[in-house]
Amino acid sequence: MSLRRLPELLGPALLVLAAALLGLGVSASLQTYFLDTLVKVSIVIALYLFIGNSGVLSFGHIAFVALGVWTAGVLTVPEGQKDAIMPGLAHFLLHTNVGNVASLALAAGVGLVFAFVVGLPLMRLSGLAAGIATFGVLEIVNNLLRYWQSIGPGLNAFSSVPQTTGIWQAAIGAFICIGVAYAYQRSRFGRQLRAAREDPAAAASAGISTYRQRLLAFALSGGLAGLAGGLYVHLLPVEIDALSLDLTFITLAMLVVGGSGSLLGAVVGALAISGLDSFLSASENGVDVLGWHIDLPTGTTEIVIGTLMAVILVLRPSGLTGGREVSLPRRRHLSDLQKARAST
Amino acid sequence: MTTLALEGLNVRYGAVDAVRELSLEVKPGEIVGLIGPNGAGKSSTLHGIMGAAPVVAGDVKLGGRSLVGRRSEDVARAGVALVPEGRRIFAELTVEENLRLGLAARRTAANGHAFDSAFELFPILREFRRRDAGALSGGQQQQLAIARALVAEPDVLLLDEPSLGLAPRIVDLVFETLATIRERGLAVLLVEQRAQRTVALADRSYVLANGHLRLELGPDDAADTDRLIAAYMA
Amino acid sequence: MTLAFLNLSWQTVADALSLGGIYALMAVGIGLVFGVLRLVNFAYGQLIMAGAYSIAYASSWGWPTWTGIVLCFAVVLALSALMDRLVFRPLRTSSPAVMLVATFAVAFLLQSIAILAFGQLGTIASSMGPLNQPWDIGGVLVRKIAIVSIAIAACCLVLLQLVLTRTSVGLHMRAAAMDFTTSRMLGVRANRVIGGAVLISGLLAAISAFMLTARNPQVTPIFGLDDTIIVLAGVVLGGLTRPIAATLGGFTIGFASGILGGTLPTNQTQYLPSFLFGAVILVLLIRPSGLFTRGEALVERV
Repeated sequence: MSLRRLPELLGPALLVLAAALLGLGVSASLQTYFLDTLVKVSIVIALYLFIGNSGVLSFGHIAFVALGVWTAGVLTVPEGQKDAIMPGLAHFLLHTNVGNVASLALAAGVGLVFAFVVGLPLMRLSGLAAGIATFGVLEIVNNLLRYWQSIGPGLNAFSSVPQTTGIWQAAIGAFICIGVAYAYQRSRFGRQLRAAREDPAAAASAGISTYRQRLLAFALSGGLAGLAGGLYVHLLPVEIDALSLDLTFITLAMLVVGGSGSLLGAVVGALAISGLDSFLSASENGVDVLGWHIDLPTGTTEIVIGTLMAVILVLRPSGLTGGREVSLPRRRHLSDLQKARAST
Repeated sequence: MTTLALEGLNVRYGAVDAVRELSLEVKPGEIVGLIGPNGAGKSSTLHGIMGAAPVVAGDVKLGGRSLVGRRSEDVARAGVALVPEGRRIFAELTVEENLRLGLAARRTAANGHAFDSAFELFPILREFRRRDAGALSGGQQQQLAIARALVAEPDVLLLDEPSLGLAPRIVDLVFETLATIRERGLAVLLVEQRAQRTVALADRSYVLANGHLRLELGPDDAADTDRLIAAYMA
Repeated sequence: MTLAFLNLSWQTVADALSLGGIYALMAVGIGLVFGVLRLVNFAYGQLIMAGAYSIAYASSWGWPTWTGIVLCFAVVLALSALMDRLVFRPLRTSSPAVMLVATFAVAFLLQSIAILAFGQLGTIASSMGPLNQPWDIGGVLVRKIAIVSIAIAACCLVLLQLVLTRTSVGLHMRAAAMDFTTSRMLGVRANRVIGGAVLISGLLAAISAFMLTARNPQVTPIFGLDDTIIVLAGVVLGGLTRPIAATLGGFTIGFASGILGGTLPTNQTQYLPSFLFGAVILVLLIRPSGLFTRGEALVERV
C-alpha cells in the first residue's frame, strides 16, 4: 500500500475524530446525538464497503446489524436479569456471558459468518434481483428475531445491557470500520471488485471472479455491520422495530447523499445527515439557536431527509463527494481495471 | 414519396466515433446499398437516422426536413420504417398483433384492408396470422419484420442485414421482395454483409469502413465486388 | 355442504378470495409500471394510504360515502401522476439501483408527510361501516365487502384484459413492456404508453384503497404498507415481466394469506413472512423470471 493514498484513510478518520471530540465537549443530553451519529457512521461504512465497491444494492445490511445487536446484547445482559426481558431464552444463552470487547468481537463475527452464508447463493444476482433478495433477507431476519424467543428478547427492548458505548468506544468502532474499509479498497480484492463493476466483461476476461469478490466484500461488510450492531446495543435499549425499514432507509440515504462511490462519501454522508437529523430532532423538542427558539412539528426530520435524498438522486446521483476520495493533487491514476489487468 | 439525405452524419457512442462525415442520398424508387465489414458503422448509421443513436454532427433530412433530435417514434411517424437487425419481432404476440404494431407509424387511417398488400407479398403470413410470432421460422420472421415495416406505408425503408442467418432460398425471396418494393416507389437503404448480391441489386452501393465512406460501386461491378473491396482496403 | 372438515368457514374462503382479488389488482398496478418503466414502485403502498386517508377524512367531515370514493380516486391519480413526472421520468435513464433507491425515498417521504399531517394514531373510515355487515346467503354469513371486492376485482381484471388485448393502447403497452426501443422505432409513443400505465396503475391503487379500507377501516400512515410488501413478493414470485404472471402471483399470495390467516393459530402464522420471502429468494435464484412465466430471464447473473 502506497503512502500517497494515505489521505483517503486520514481524511475520514479525522472527520470522525473531530465529531468525537465535539461530542466530548457537549452536555450529556446532546452527547446521545453524537453517539448515535458515530454508530451510524459505522453502519454506513459497512454499507459502503459492499455497495460502493461492487455497485450492487443491498437492502439487507440492517439484518446483520440486528444480528450484531442480538449477539452482543444477549451475551452481556447480566445473568440475573436475563429472565426478565428474555423469558424464553435457550439454556446455553442464559448461562453464557462475555465481556464488552468480546461481545463486540462476537457481534462482528456473527455478522461476518451470516453474511457469508447468505451471500453464497445471493452474490450471483445483480441489480433489481439483488435488491429484492437482500430485502427478503432483511424481512426474514427481522421476522425471526421478532418471534423467536429462545435467542433473544423478541419484541422487548434490550434494556439491561451495560451501556459501555461512550464516545471513545463509538469512535474506536468507527475507526476500525474506516481502517477495514480502507485496507479493503486498497487491496487487490477491492481493486478487482471495482474493476468488475466498471466493466464486467473485461474483468471476466482478465480472470476476475465477480462472484468471489462480491462474496468477500459482502461478508466483510456483514462483519462491520455486526460490529456496529454491537456498539448500538451497548448505547441504548434497542428493540426490533428500530432495526428494519426505517433504519435501512436512513443509512442508505446517508450513503447516497454523501456519495456511494467513496469512503469519504460514506463518512461525509453519515455525519452530515446525522447532524441534520439530530438538529431537526432536537428542534422538534424545542431548541434555542442564536437567540431564536425553534420548535418544529414531529416528523419534520424525516420529510427533510427524504426530500433531500430524492433531490440529490435526481440532480446529483453521485452524491456530495461525487464518489471521490480525499487525495493530494498529483498525476492521474490508472483505472482500477488497468491495474487489475497488470496485477493478474 | 420523398428523398432521404444524409449530410455529413456523425454518430458517436460515448468516446467512439461510429460514423464519420457520412453523406449520401436515397431517392424514391432507389435501392442504395451500404456494405462493409463488421463494426464499420452500418447499423449505427441506421440507428442514427432513427434517433436511437446519438448524432453529434451533420444532418439527416427527409424531403428537406431535418430528422435529427427527434424521438424515435416521431421519426417513424414521419415516414421512415426500420427492419431491425435480428428481426426483433415480438415473439409473444401473434403475427396479426405484430402487424397491428406496425400500424402505429402510419400516417393515413388504417382500414380493414391495411394488411392486404403485406399478405400479397408474403402469403405465409396470412396463413399464420393468429399464431404466436415466436412459432415462426427465421425466414418467416424476417418476412414478418418487413411486412410490419411496410404496413406503416413509409416513404423510406431501412433494412439492417435482412439476410443474416437465413437459408439461401429465403434470401432469394427477400431480395426479390426488395426489388418489388423499389417498384412501389419507396426509397430503400439496405445495410448488408452479402456484398455481391447487394451490389447487384442496388442502384448504388457504398462501402463503409471505420465509419467512413470509402468506395462507391454500381451494379456493373457486382461480379468483381470482393476483388474491388479487397483492393481498396489493402 | 360445509367445509368444517378443513377447518374452513365460508367466511374464510370468501375473505381469502377477496384478499386474493385485491392483491391481484395491486399486483397488476405494480407489474404494469414495471413493464414499461422497468421500475419497481416501492411507493405504491403510499398511494393506497393516500386513498384510504381520503375516504377516512371524507367520512369524518360528514360527506356522503360516494364523494369520499371520488376524492380517493382524485387524490390517488393526482399523486400517481406527480410521482411519475417528478421522480420516475427524470430517472428513466438511470441505473436500476438508483431507481430502486429513488422509489424507496419517495415511499419514505410520503409516509413521513402522512405522520406529520395526520399523526400516528390514525383515523376511522366510518363510511365503510355498512360494507362490513354480513349478508345471509343460504344460512351462511359472509361479509358484504368480501363479495363486493371479489366482484369488483373480477370486473377490473376482465376489463383490463380487454383493454390490453383489444385496444391499440393496450397492444402498445404490452409491446413496450417487451421491447421498448423497437416499439418506439415502430412508432409507439413512449409518453402515451407510460402515461397510460401510470394512469391504470393509479386507478387500480384507488380501487384497492377503497376495498382495503372497507376491510379494515382503521387508517394509519402505514396503511397498506404490509399489503404492498406482500404483493411485491407475490409479483416477484409470479413473474415481474408479464402482467398475467404478476396477477396470478398476487392472487395466489393473497388467497394463501387469507386461508392460512383464517385457519392457522397465530403462533404458527407469525413466521409466515419468513416462508414467504424465503420462497421469493429461492425463485430469484432458480427461476428468476417467476413461477408463472415461460422462463425468459429478467435478472443479470454472474
